[in-house]
Amino acid sequence: MKSAEILCIGGANGSGKSTLAQICAGLLTPSSGSVYYLDKKVESRNNLLELRKKVGLLFQSPEDQLFADTVEKDISFGPRNRGLRGAELDARVRTAASLFDLSLEELGGRSPFTLSVGEKRRVALAGVLALEPEVLVLDEPFIGMDFDARQHMQSLLGRLRDDRGTSIVIITHELSSSWLLADRYALLAGGGVERLQSRSELVEKERDLIALGLRLPQWGVLANSLKEMGIFVEDPADPLALARAICSIREGSDGR
Amino acid sequence: MRNDRVEQILVEGLSFSYPGAVREALSGINLLFEQGEFCAILGRNGSGKSTIARCLNALIAPSAGSVIACGLDTRNRGDSLEIKKKIAMVFQDPDTQIVGTTVEEEVAFGPENLGLSAGVIRERVDRSLRLTGISNFAGRQPMRLSEGQKQLVAIAGALAMEPAFLVSDESTSMLDTEARQRILELFLSLKEQGVGIIHVTHFLEEATIADRVVVLDDGRVREEGVPADVLYDPEKVSDMGLDPLPVTVVAREMSSMGHPPAGPVLTVEELLSCILA
Repeated sequence: MKSAEILCIGGANGSGKSTLAQICAGLLTPSSGSVYYLDKKVESRNNLLELRKKVGLLFQSPEDQLFADTVEKDISFGPRNRGLRGAELDARVRTAASLFDLSLEELGGRSPFTLSVGEKRRVALAGVLALEPEVLVLDEPFIGMDFDARQHMQSLLGRLRDDRGTSIVIITHELSSSWLLADRYALLAGGGVERLQSRSELVEKERDLIALGLRLPQWGVLANSLKEMGIFVEDPADPLALARAICSIREGSDGR
Repeated sequence: MRNDRVEQILVEGLSFSYPGAVREALSGINLLFEQGEFCAILGRNGSGKSTIARCLNALIAPSAGSVIACGLDTRNRGDSLEIKKKIAMVFQDPDTQIVGTTVEEEVAFGPENLGLSAGVIRERVDRSLRLTGISNFAGRQPMRLSEGQKQLVAIAGALAMEPAFLVSDESTSMLDTEARQRILELFLSLKEQGVGIIHVTHFLEEATIADRVVVLDDGRVREEGVPADVLYDPEKVSDMGLDPLPVTVVAREMSSMGHPPAGPVLTVEELLSCILA
């Protein structure tokens, strides 16, 4: 991972997504091989504890990590556990809540279990962010969320990367929700990770994706079909470029 | 089709409020579902999608209005079992409905409760396993299967009741593309065999293969029609709280460049065929 980037790791059900997420966050240790953090191999128990401090994990199901009887207590649990009290704790909780557009005045006293899926994920993430991790690992962060909630989450994650320099790993079977957000992509298959760089490279792997049980979003499928017709669209997420390419074919020009 | 009569579910003036809720979850819904049709129900979270699914097979009764399912009124508690036989339901999380220790036992569970003879139960189980393509793991433990396979087991269990309708409440939402594709192909083939499919989903691409799309918003029917009519305008679609299909966004850009596609397009194939035309 680089700093201030969003890496999307695609994998089908059963490909090891959640296992990888938990290894990255130091909750599981590898049977063989190693995890490096800032070029340092994570091997001793101290290293592992250090890794856990640096990497925050959002579970696929927010219910797996929410437990307090109010939103405010849930967000403050981590930093309180690390010994923060008083104004410092309060500031930490407020900052984390505001990063995820959560109003403590409005929601702070409510039980997290009465919230919508999108709100629950944001509370769980605020709880993770309150520990000020450098890397966030998100296991299927968009599942079960509707368009508005997904868009909201996408813009919040983009802001975290751009304004705070947080590195974010999104592990998912559904590439379309991260299509406009991710800077780099990787695929998880047969227990291994294939590293790709850009959306364009992912688009070229359409067949591999299908073989893995995944699929490109319509954007990518369209860009690939156009490529087969001899027109290369540089950014397969740009509707204007795709529309221009199609219009150029219709006009009979060469598409340049 | 098992008989010539086409069964229907008639929803008239349906309203529903959850106990203690300030707002109605559904208000004044009128809809008609028929056997042999694939209807997709879309809508943002909280729009009433799951609530209407639960009203269709008498899991919950209307606060006002009525649901007449295959000639039976869901308000009549005495008909509840008969309705559940005719209108089967599968949910988002198959773990919530799987009880058997083997796949075969699980699929046989429904017909056994109907008091059918051993021979008939056997026939139904075999047919359901075949239809869903899971005959080869009849003896396995459902809990050790993948999510997609578990969902197929849940559907096989539903089909063993030989229902007139299958109501899917986001049954594809946790699945990867391959598993999702399998379920959708199964729905299409069941439809061909006369089963009415009512599929609640978040994914617009799944709705493009439906015969009809119903969009709920704030407990009301906001749009209803064939997919091309309801889903082609990206602005209208996002206003309904749904993800516009990328193809429709590209088509809008083409229109603004003075080159609109010949008609509404929802799929890559449809868009590209307008180039070749």
